[in-house]
Amino acid sequence: MTEPKNRGMFGVVGLFESADALMAAIPKVREAGLGKVEAYTPYPVHGLDKALGQRRSPLGGMVMVMGVLGALTAFLFQWWISGIDYPIVTGGKAPTSWQAFVPIMFEVTVLFATFTAGLGMLFFLNKLPFFGHPVLHAQAIADITRDRFGLAIEAEGDGFDVEAAVRALEAAGARPIEVIPQPSFSGPMTARYLERSLLGIAIACAVSGYAMYWAVKLFPVLPPTSHMLVQPRLDPQKPSAFFKDGHGMQLPVPGTVARGYLPLGLASQEEAATLVNPLAVSEKVLEEGRQAYMNHCVVCHGPLANGVPTLTSAYGAKPANLQAKQFRDYPDGKIYWTIVMGKNAMPSYAADLSEEDRWAVIHYLRALQRAQNAKPGDLDGVKLEAGSGPGSEGKAP
Amino acid sequence: MKAEAVRLPEELQAPALTAGLVTSGSLDDQVLKFPAKKPPLAWYVGFAITSSIMTLGLALIGYTIATGIGVWGNTNPVFWAFDIINFVFWVGIGHAGTLISAILFLFRKRWRNAIARFAEAMTIFAVMCAGIFPLIHVGRPWVAFWLFPYPNQRAVWPNFRSPLLWDVFAVSTYFSVSLLFWYLGLLPDIASMRDRATGKIRKAVYSVLCLGWRGANSHWNHFEKAYLLLAGLATGLVLSVHSVVSFDFAVSLVPGWHMTIFPPYFVTGAIFAGFAMVLMVLIVVRETMDMKNLITAYHLDVMSRVILAMSCLMGYAYLMEGFTAWYSMNPFLHSIFKNYFMGAYWWAGWLTLACNVFIPQLFWFKKCRQSYVWMIVIALAVTTGMWFERFVIIVVSLHHDFLPASWHLYKPTLVDYGILLGSFGLFFTMVLLFARVLPVIATTEMKGILPGAQPHVVKSEE
Amino acid sequence: MTGSKTSTGQALWGAAALGLVGVGATYPVAGPARFWANWLLWFLFLLTIGLGSLFIVALEHLVGSRWSVPLRRIPERLSTLLLLAVPMAFVSLGALPVLYPGTRPEAAHDPVLAGKAFWLSAPFVSTRTILCLALWLVGVAVLTGGSLRQDRTRDPGFNVKARRFAPAFLAIFAVTLTLVAFDWISALEPKWYSDIFGVYLFAGTFLAALAATAVSVVFLKGKGRLEGVGPSHLYNLGAYLFAFTVFWSYIAFAQYLLMWYGDMPEEVFWYKERLAGSWLGVALLLGVVHFLIPFFALIPRDAKGDTRRLFRVAVLMLAAHVLDLYWLIFPVLGPPRLSWPELSFALFFISGGLLWVRAAMERGEDMPAGDPFLREGLEFRL
Repeated sequence: MTEPKNRGMFGVVGLFESADALMAAIPKVREAGLGKVEAYTPYPVHGLDKALGQRRSPLGGMVMVMGVLGALTAFLFQWWISGIDYPIVTGGKAPTSWQAFVPIMFEVTVLFATFTAGLGMLFFLNKLPFFGHPVLHAQAIADITRDRFGLAIEAEGDGFDVEAAVRALEAAGARPIEVIPQPSFSGPMTARYLERSLLGIAIACAVSGYAMYWAVKLFPVLPPTSHMLVQPRLDPQKPSAFFKDGHGMQLPVPGTVARGYLPLGLASQEEAATLVNPLAVSEKVLEEGRQAYMNHCVVCHGPLANGVPTLTSAYGAKPANLQAKQFRDYPDGKIYWTIVMGKNAMPSYAADLSEEDRWAVIHYLRALQRAQNAKPGDLDGVKLEAGSGPGSEGKAP
Repeated sequence: MKAEAVRLPEELQAPALTAGLVTSGSLDDQVLKFPAKKPPLAWYVGFAITSSIMTLGLALIGYTIATGIGVWGNTNPVFWAFDIINFVFWVGIGHAGTLISAILFLFRKRWRNAIARFAEAMTIFAVMCAGIFPLIHVGRPWVAFWLFPYPNQRAVWPNFRSPLLWDVFAVSTYFSVSLLFWYLGLLPDIASMRDRATGKIRKAVYSVLCLGWRGANSHWNHFEKAYLLLAGLATGLVLSVHSVVSFDFAVSLVPGWHMTIFPPYFVTGAIFAGFAMVLMVLIVVRETMDMKNLITAYHLDVMSRVILAMSCLMGYAYLMEGFTAWYSMNPFLHSIFKNYFMGAYWWAGWLTLACNVFIPQLFWFKKCRQSYVWMIVIALAVTTGMWFERFVIIVVSLHHDFLPASWHLYKPTLVDYGILLGSFGLFFTMVLLFARVLPVIATTEMKGILPGAQPHVVKSEE
Repeated sequence: MTGSKTSTGQALWGAAALGLVGVGATYPVAGPARFWANWLLWFLFLLTIGLGSLFIVALEHLVGSRWSVPLRRIPERLSTLLLLAVPMAFVSLGALPVLYPGTRPEAAHDPVLAGKAFWLSAPFVSTRTILCLALWLVGVAVLTGGSLRQDRTRDPGFNVKARRFAPAFLAIFAVTLTLVAFDWISALEPKWYSDIFGVYLFAGTFLAALAATAVSVVFLKGKGRLEGVGPSHLYNLGAYLFAFTVFWSYIAFAQYLLMWYGDMPEEVFWYKERLAGSWLGVALLLGVVHFLIPFFALIPRDAKGDTRRLFRVAVLMLAAHVLDLYWLIFPVLGPPRLSWPELSFALFFISGGLLWVRAAMERGEDMPAGDPFLREGLEFRL
């Protein structure tokens, strides 16, 4: 066992005026073999690594590995997302089109590689941050970070000979020379403390994140993303807060007239008998009528208006046979009334047929009636009415 | 060999990178004193002006977010306008820093050391300015995080085929890497500041910031390697970032946007604009902070030369665009190029051409490379020209789209102008703060290139 | 030593003669189109190496680089390939009516080509080419000739002159190389257009010239010449090779990505031809030899200064440049062809080119002895 007085020694550091002087001193000091020789300089001095026998930095390999890893990560991530998990086709490109993944792949490669280079160098290789290093608490550090070149002989194990180290540095031309003890304090300035606090921060983050998750879940005071959830609207089975009566929609104001649907203004079907069809018969009007008839009337009254419907009579309805004499003699106005007001089981078609469509349907119905009840004499009339007669006349028996 | 030493013509003599006697110690005294000193009145005046402009910009951004981007002039068919122009403009400004710090580092251009720190800082501030615009441009910036691919309950992922998403990755990577690069360079300087600081709080802050850097050679060993690797990677990154920005346009089918030359052309333009900005700011720093011995006339000269070279490359790119537009015999391309110079915005086209190609040619004259007035005039022209170049590319290409019925002249609103102005306010506020808080010159790097800083090399090489 | 030298020379002459037989037979047997495509490939190969070398020289003068001064004589000597390219260019004009649809009279009636028929027409292309040749020869005379004269005069005034001439030459270089790209390669398919194409050819050109320089340097060093050029210089060469491998890939991919993404029929057809059938294999091979192998081979720090690896990678880069030109030119003939015409052209031009370069390597001193910065360059260490 050596004397206890050297137990707390970190080493001895001597200062040089120039990089050349430092370079010249290193071999001499290293020859003495008193401990680990390390240089402390204000800026990187070329050739010191070799002179001190330090290994080349392994950073290049680390960066290479991480870069390749970054490239693979980015590529596979994009491939999986765009091609497998959420395939969408944009711009006519295949979901797994690799060309589009290259830019991000490059960026992530660079990100991985640079962070490995920068942070890997600081935290992993240089073991920083470290505030408790003895040199930091020596007098010499202020000169070292300014313009002096420090050369230190650092204790390795117990057998460190302080005097010999001082002599060796003196012989090499260092001035002044400082003996650096191990700092007596520990605690906040050591790397271990920092590691612990980083771990603590990480745990605190995890705990608070989890706590936040549950807090938001249990006490949803502030829903995190509520962009379109909160807006005025009527929910099913809930009263509306907007109107007094709690309904979400209101009846129109009395006397409201829908555009294009003027009220009839007649009291009874008899009164309506006086109405005259305002449309002149033309091929266009009949076509319109046919369209409307086919859309709305044919299901009950049948394509020939004879009350034999397209649908079966499964519903038990007895639609009127409009070919009957009664209806052939009906004035146009009465039919109009029926369309607007409905009759028996027939509902009002006012909402479905516009004014014009109603009259067009009546024209078409007349044409159907005439076609089904044709007399030989009708053909004479054809000549008279040539040019305006409907095509169905030709089907007359 | 030595006997026949030839007298070199002045033009060929190696320029001194510092003027007067500069030593490691004097360098520290000169550069590191600023953070400890009270700034002069002019600084406060400048800061008041820039920060008011910044506040105006921030208020208008708040107004935009609260009201919606209808307060801008963007409308059918010009859906991209000031927002994207400013984004591209600022990202471009941000390219000079990395160029100076990374590419010139790889080329071992030692004149870069004096200006690298400021240029890097400007990169970071410019990218901050740039980042604002896409953020507010999305309309609902509070959900901008949707752009990141994270597993979510909606079970959707972002579209990786969209160049806008590439942008998110490129710009955020660029910002992080620039910050890291800047910080690494700052680390030893902050260590110097720590050891100079007298105040207890200052010392503690610097101690934490420099992570306990102690200048051990084993650390420098890794540090230098890391710096070299970062420089190499940042070079690739700087090329890729503006290329990705150019993809925002070039992958589309809009005539005037779909150009294969866009990626290198955008990178060139970015470096061009960035250098002009760095030149302007450095002139101010040199004068107001009394740095004439460190930022010498040679630095300004060489930067002017770089601007000139970039201007020629821009000229080549314009020539190629114009030629190919003609050569393609594509009527749409013909029409859009006619529009650039003879349409409603003809002045923007000519302004771009004049400011980016013709005016910088003045740098051929030595007189212009040595006079502050000319340098600032030309740098301002370049900055203006590069902004209008993006205006031409974006607005002029869009305002006549494929459907003549929707052709529309774009008119920016006051809010547009205000936010643009505010971004300048933000940038210069950050620059002013930086100039007072951190060392504006990379003292550690400068120390390494002072005469006699490196030991004489042993002749033989292993 | 001299014995082996002459025997190498004899072997090269023999190979060239053998190749010449195949070259001569190609025209009547395999047809003029095949002959001209091969001719064009090797014309462009030698031309781009010569032009790229001159570019390296001009760049060095412009930026005032010192480390490369001891190596400068190599690209200067390689730039004499431009002298060889002059007669080849005149012969190449014969390819115009055969390979270039734009020169045919039908072009005037094609809706796309009509507007630019005069640009593509044989007389105009020939004029431009002759103009380019004249400008290049001026470059060779000023930069290479001046440097050789400086060996005797030791006059630093040449450095001043070269420094002033360099920007002019670089401007000429940019325009003329773009013209080469458009007139001789892009015009094979006159409807296709890409404004980055000049830069694409530049990337390949610079890379090929760098590779040729690296091969020559390593070769001469192996012969015990270029004393004083050490690993630091080689490292820089390797680093440039690495950087421009990445640059080439960047440009190539950018052009491809944009056209692929845009998918516009008037431009994407070019890639469809070059990625269809067996051409896909050629394209993939190009990606491997022009990017992947050199990229990963040169990544490690030691690799860049390692003579053996540098030599191999540089040779591979030259081969990759040939493959690049093959991939650019040959698809106009249909599916990839590699048979006796291609092989005999390769044999003829490689051995002929080597003979030329071998002779050039004896021109002047191995290093620009009159350059005032030679010493500084020799002292360069990383």
